[in-house]
Amino acid sequence: MEDKEFDLAEMEKETEEMLKINLLNEKNARFTRTEGGFLSLKTGDKDYPRVLAVRMFPFTDPDKYISIRTTGEHSKEIGIIEDMASLSGEVRGIIEEQLDLRYFTPVITGIYSIKDEYGYAYFDVMTDRGRCRFAIHMGGSDVVHLSETRIMITDIDENRFEIPDVLKLTPGERKKLDLFL
Amino acid sequence: MELKIGLSEKNLRLLPVGEKELIYAVPFDIGKDGKFLRNSFVAITSKSIYVLCEGKLTKTLDIKDFDTFKSEVGVSCGVLYGIPKGADESKAVLIAKYSSGHLARYAYIAKGCRFLAEGRKDIVKSEEYEKYCPRCKRALPGTRTCPRCAGKKEGLIHEMLLMMAPYKLQLVGIFILMLLASLTTLLNPEIQKHLVDDVLMREQGSVKLAMFCLAGMFAMSIGIAIVNLLKNYYCSRLGAVISMDLRKKLYSKIQMLSLSYVNDRKPGDLMNRITRDTQRVSDFMGDSFCNLFTVAVILICDVIYMLILDAKLTVISMVFIPLSVFISIGFRHNIHRRFHMQWVKDDKINSNLRDVLSGMSVVKAYGKEEEESEHFNKTADDYAVTQRKNETFWAVFFPLMQFMMGVGVYLITYFGGVSVIREEKTVGQLMQFVNYTSMMYMYVGWLSNMPRMLMNLVTSVERISDVMQQEPKITDSKDSKAHRVKGGIEFKDVTFGYKTYEPILEHIDLKVKPGEMIGLVGSSGAGKSTMINLIMHLYDVDDGKLLIDGIDIKDIKLADYHAQIGVVLQETFLFSGTILNNIRFARPEATTMEVIRAAKMANAHDFICKTPDGYNTYVGEKGYNLSGGERQRIAIARAILNDPRILILDEATASLDTESEYLIQTALDRLTEGKTTFAIAHRLSTLKNADRLVVIDGHRIAEVGSHNELMEKKGIYYGLVTAQLEMQGTPASENAAV
Repeated sequence: MEDKEFDLAEMEKETEEMLKINLLNEKNARFTRTEGGFLSLKTGDKDYPRVLAVRMFPFTDPDKYISIRTTGEHSKEIGIIEDMASLSGEVRGIIEEQLDLRYFTPVITGIYSIKDEYGYAYFDVMTDRGRCRFAIHMGGSDVVHLSETRIMITDIDENRFEIPDVLKLTPGERKKLDLFL
Repeated sequence: MELKIGLSEKNLRLLPVGEKELIYAVPFDIGKDGKFLRNSFVAITSKSIYVLCEGKLTKTLDIKDFDTFKSEVGVSCGVLYGIPKGADESKAVLIAKYSSGHLARYAYIAKGCRFLAEGRKDIVKSEEYEKYCPRCKRALPGTRTCPRCAGKKEGLIHEMLLMMAPYKLQLVGIFILMLLASLTTLLNPEIQKHLVDDVLMREQGSVKLAMFCLAGMFAMSIGIAIVNLLKNYYCSRLGAVISMDLRKKLYSKIQMLSLSYVNDRKPGDLMNRITRDTQRVSDFMGDSFCNLFTVAVILICDVIYMLILDAKLTVISMVFIPLSVFISIGFRHNIHRRFHMQWVKDDKINSNLRDVLSGMSVVKAYGKEEEESEHFNKTADDYAVTQRKNETFWAVFFPLMQFMMGVGVYLITYFGGVSVIREEKTVGQLMQFVNYTSMMYMYVGWLSNMPRMLMNLVTSVERISDVMQQEPKITDSKDSKAHRVKGGIEFKDVTFGYKTYEPILEHIDLKVKPGEMIGLVGSSGAGKSTMINLIMHLYDVDDGKLLIDGIDIKDIKLADYHAQIGVVLQETFLFSGTILNNIRFARPEATTMEVIRAAKMANAHDFICKTPDGYNTYVGEKGYNLSGGERQRIAIARAILNDPRILILDEATASLDTESEYLIQTALDRLTEGKTTFAIAHRLSTLKNADRLVVIDGHRIAEVGSHNELMEKKGIYYGLVTAQLEMQGTPASENAAV
C-alpha cells in the first residue's frame, strides 16, 4: 500500500487482462448448473458463483463466440467460448439453457392477420413459442431488415420477433406483411 | 402501472390465502420450455411468494428465507430471482421469466419483495403508464387512459365543448352558414327542373324565360360559392384560434410540470403533442367540422326530397349505398397503404442521404464513394418503382372507382327513363332525381370517412388532455415560504432514483457550511449530477430529507429558491437573442452597467467587444457562432449577474482548450467566492480550490475530505489522482507534496 508502483502494476495488469482474449473450453473451465437454474463456473484458481452467457453475434452467429461474463453492474468478461459445437452435449445443454434465459426472440411461423388502426399495426401471429398478438408503431423503424429476406420486428413493449425468411411465408401472409417489406 | 391484478376465482382457490392478504399479483408469460404461457401469475403476500402456472400452483417461497430479490434484464425478456439468506449467487433461485412488456413491472415487484424481506411495511407503487388498454387491448398512444374507451364517456365530449366554449358566437354564425349552404345546394336541381320542363320541353317556350331560369341557376351557383367560402373561412379561422389556444396552454403546462414528467417522455413526443396534435384539432375544425352538419342536413333533405319525388326509385338507389360505402372505404384503405409505403421509402432515401452527407469526410477518407452511390441508387430505384406503381394505380383505378360508385345513377337513369317514355314523369323531374341521387352517393362516401377522422381527433384530444390533467409533482404547498438562502445545505439519509425501483443515490448524509466549496468526484453514472439535480430541486427526494439552512427544501417557495441558484453547465445553452438578453436571462431588470461589470468579471467583456455588434450580437441557434469557451463565459456572466447564494458547476471547464480554461478558471474563482458551491469535474486539477471533496461510489458517499486528507487515505480518490497523473506522466509523489 505504501508504494505507488504497486498500484500502477496492478492497474497495468488489469488493463492487460482486459485486452487478452481468453478462450474457454472444457479443459480449462468447469461449468455447472446451479440448483436454482443458473450457471456457475470454475476456471483456473477462480470460482464464480454465477456467470452470464452473452452472444456476440446474435443474428449472424448465435452458436459461436459466446462471451462468459461476471454478473452485476460492472460486468467483466471472463472468457469466450469460440464454438458451442466443440462442447460436450451436457455442458452445451446448460449453457444453452442460460442463453435461453437471456434471449427471447420468438420466430414468426405464420400470420393470421395484420390490422392497421390509428397509427398502430396489430399483429396476430403464430410463433415457435405459441400464438401471439402484439402491436407496433406504424411509420417508425420497428421493422428492420437484417437481410433481403430476414426481418426483425420490435413491438411497443420492445419484444422482438423474427421472420428468418419472408419467402417461406405463404403469398397471402406476405401480402399482409406487404406494408412493412 | 398496476402491480396488483385481480386474480380469477379459480386461481385464488389454488392459493392457501385469500385475495385480501395479497399485496402484489402480476402476470408472467414465458415457461420453462420457452413457450408462451397464459393465465400465469406471481402472487405475493407479506410472507410468501406463490407462482401460479397455467392453473397450477408450481412454487411457494418463504420470503423470510431470502436475503434479497432481483430482476435481471435480458434481451427482450427478463427474470426474477431471489438469493437465499447468507448464500452467494450460486444458490440463486429462479422465480419467473417474462417478456419485455413486464420488465418495468417486475423491477417494481423485486423492490417490493426486497422491502418485504427487510421487514418493511411500505408498498411499492408505480406511476408508469400501461402500454395497452386493459379493456379493449389496443395500444395506448402515450396516455394514461384509452382514447377509444374514454371517448365513450362524456369526459372527452366535455373536453371538446370546453375548448369551443369561448367561441359560442362564431359557432352560431357558422351554423347559420351551414344551413344556408345546404339550402342552396338542394335548391339548384329544383330550378334546373323548371328550366327543362317549363322552358325547354315546352313548345312555346320563350328565350326570356330560359334566360330567367339560367340567371337563377347562375345566381344560385354564385351563392353556393360565396356561402361555402365564408363557411370555410370562418371554420378554418376558428380551428386556427382553438389550436393556438391549446398550443399556448400545453406549452405553459409542460413548462410547469416537473422535470420527471418531461424526462420520462421522448422529446419528440411532447413536441408532437404541442404541434401535431393541436394541428389535428385545427384540421378537424377546418375540414370536417364545417362540412359535417352541412352534409348531414343535405343528406336528410336529399332523401326526403327523393322519397317525395319517387319512392320506388329511391328504394332502388338505396340498394347501391352499401356498395358505394364499401368501395369508398376499400379504396381509401388501399390508397393509404400504397402511399404509406411510398412515404416509408421516401424517408429511407432521406435518411440515407443525411447519413452520407454528414459522414462525407469518412466516406471519402476510406474511398467508399462508389459503394455509397451504388447503395443510394438502389434505394432511389426502389422508390421510383413504388412511385410509378402508385401513379399507375391512381390513373387506372380512380376513374374505375368513380364509375363503380356511379353505377346506381345509370340504373336510376334507366328506370327513370322508362317512366319518362311512359310519360309518368317529365324529363326535368328525371334530371332532378338523378342529380339528387348522385349527390346522395357523394355525401355518403364522404360520411364513411367520418369514423376515421373522429378517431384521429379523439386520439389527439386525449393526448392533449393527458398533459393538461397532469399535476406537477413539485409544487409550492400553502406552507412554503420565501427564504433568503444563506448557503447551508444538509443531506439527511437521502435516497433517490429517477425510476423509484432503481436508486441512484442511497443513504446520503452530508452537511455543507455556507460558503463552502464542495468538489464531487466519482465515475460517470455514479450520481454526481443527480445530487446536483436534487440541490436544484428539480426532483424531490424519495426518502430522507434535504435541508437548506435547516429548512426542508419542500417548504421553500420554488421560484424564490431558484432565483438564488446559479448554474454553469458543460454545454451552455444560449437562447436565441442578443448577448445582452442572454446575460440578463435570470435578472431582466439589471442595468447595463451591471451587465458590463458581470461580463468583465467573467472575462467575457473583451471578446464581446470584438464581435461586430458588441452586446447586441445575436446568438443562439441561427445567430453568431461563439466558441465553447465564449459561451461558457457568457454563462458565468449570467451567474455572476444573478449573484446566487448557491452555485453549481457541472463540468464547467471540461471541453475547453488550455487558454480559455485559464480565463474561465479565474472567472470562476471570482464567482465562487463566498458562495456555497458544488462543482463536478473529471479533471481533478480543476477541483484544487475545493474545501472538501466528496467521492461518490456505488450509489453512496465513499470518502469525504480535503485533497491532502484523501491523498493520505490512499482510497478511491488517491487511485483516481494517481491514474490521471500517470496519464500526464507526472509521478504522484510530486503532486502529493503540493
